[in-house]
Amino acid sequence: MNDGDVEVFLSLVERHRRYLYNLALRLTGNEQDAKDVVQDSLLNAYLGLEQFEGRADLRTWLNRILVNSALNHLRSLRRRHDVNAPQPIADVVDTVASSYPDPERLVASADWRRHVSAAMNTMSPLERVTFALRHFDGCSINEIAQTVGISNTAAKQHIFRAVRKMRVALEPHWSGR
Amino acid sequence: MTHLSDDELVLHYYGEDGPEIVTAERHLKACTQCARAYEALARTLNAVIPPEFVEAFDDLPALRQLLREHSRDGSSSLPVGKSLIRARAGVTVLVWLAPLLYPVSLKALFSSAQWAQSQVVGVPFVALALMWACVGPLLAICALNHLSFGRGAQASTRVLVVGAVMAAISPSLFLFVSRANDGLSVNLGMTLWYGVITLAALLSLFRRPGVSESTASTRAERFLYVHRLSALVLAVFVLAHVINQALAFISVSSYTAMRNVMRMASEQPASYLLLVGAVAIQIATGAGMGMKHVRAGAVARNVQAVAGWCLAAFMLAHVLTPLLYSQTSGTTAGSIDQFDLLASPRSTEQLPFLLLGVASFLLHVGVYARLAALAYLAEASVRRLSYAGMVVGTTVVVTIGLSLCGIHLVR
Repeated sequence: MNDGDVEVFLSLVERHRRYLYNLALRLTGNEQDAKDVVQDSLLNAYLGLEQFEGRADLRTWLNRILVNSALNHLRSLRRRHDVNAPQPIADVVDTVASSYPDPERLVASADWRRHVSAAMNTMSPLERVTFALRHFDGCSINEIAQTVGISNTAAKQHIFRAVRKMRVALEPHWSGR
Repeated sequence: MTHLSDDELVLHYYGEDGPEIVTAERHLKACTQCARAYEALARTLNAVIPPEFVEAFDDLPALRQLLREHSRDGSSSLPVGKSLIRARAGVTVLVWLAPLLYPVSLKALFSSAQWAQSQVVGVPFVALALMWACVGPLLAICALNHLSFGRGAQASTRVLVVGAVMAAISPSLFLFVSRANDGLSVNLGMTLWYGVITLAALLSLFRRPGVSESTASTRAERFLYVHRLSALVLAVFVLAHVINQALAFISVSSYTAMRNVMRMASEQPASYLLLVGAVAIQIATGAGMGMKHVRAGAVARNVQAVAGWCLAAFMLAHVLTPLLYSQTSGTTAGSIDQFDLLASPRSTEQLPFLLLGVASFLLHVGVYARLAALAYLAEASVRRLSYAGMVVGTTVVVTIGLSLCGIHLVR
């Protein structure tokens, strides 16, 4: 490929970039990581463009590359800095256990988003990605299994574990309301 | 009344409970306890809202720069497209070189073993020659791992994939061809082996009839069930053999005693039929599932596919070679009556065959266990278990390798 092909590639992916960036944001939970993941996955897509044989549509193909890039990114973060290493649930519960006047205002608050983010940091990369794809993106378990390359049962189990962690972290906050 | 479990409630929340959705909904209407549990779950999950949709960063200039740099880095004189073609051509040549040079690696293995008997300095060369003889499956995994393909792909991809299969099954196929040659009235020598390779290369040029994605997927699902069922029968038999073979490193007499018992059991007409049937089903269903899960970057799936090819060829050689031996004499493939396999050029052929047979069995089952364990254990635990499994597997293969080279703790 030459510089002209770079332009062709960029115009092809341009209409999907907003979607990809938002997906990366939901998977990783922060803007810088999302930016890195999008850049990494677009580079991989560019280098592997020959492998795109039109069996799936472009967005599905890019989606699969991005999800796997996000998984690798989360795993490498964990190895390098232990940033996403599961925090003890008790720590998250402690940070959540402040009181708010009513649930609707609570959910809309920045603090609540921080608590959700902290709860997601208790998840393993696979739990986090499968949960985000199911909960935020509305992908079916079958689609998630195919995208991530695991069995349907494994995808279900990761989602169950993620939901359990989310509940353990957030439910104490609802109790008594 | 059976209450809904937490997991069933989660499935219901996401509408993933399939045909049970109506039953679950009816139960929630009737059961206050489950309704309350569901309400608590829904309240929490409803409150987990995604980050607001935002505009993407305007990082196009940086991305453009990055892609251009990679285009130039890929080759100062060659564009990326051509360098990819070059890489594919290089991998294709490598995978086809593995079967072509396989007989040479056996000669190197035997010669280095002879040298090692007189001088210790020859021992590393035995290890190197053995690695050379066993490198085929590794090349096959690398080839599949870096290049993806589709059904009804181009000729170049088919040549690559058939080359990868040939590289993976070279030890078993070579042993089978060599024993088949013994049964012929005319000794064709290496001509027969190179004839088989040429035939495989020619076959790879023909396009397979295309199968739609959905048909292939349904077929694979159906085959998977039968494949696993027959695998259970074989796994018991093969595992007993692997353990016994490893036991030979400790004591030859213990190995012989256990082997006699297993031989007696497996030579009963009913059990022999069961085993041959299970092997046939394994190979047929394995071939039917084909390359469904093989794709670039899916390391575990690719390892499992290549290990499956090796195992199929190993079992086929194991089952078919005794038939050839009804006319000729000597040890059958995989049936070890002598331990110093490096003693003659003929017995040397069995060493990579047996070691790759054991390794591919352990890898095929191990990767399946790893993927299955992900459904029940946390990712970190599965990773730790995988490392432990790799250590145990490597120890077993090395132990068997030592015993096959005539090294035993107790004779």
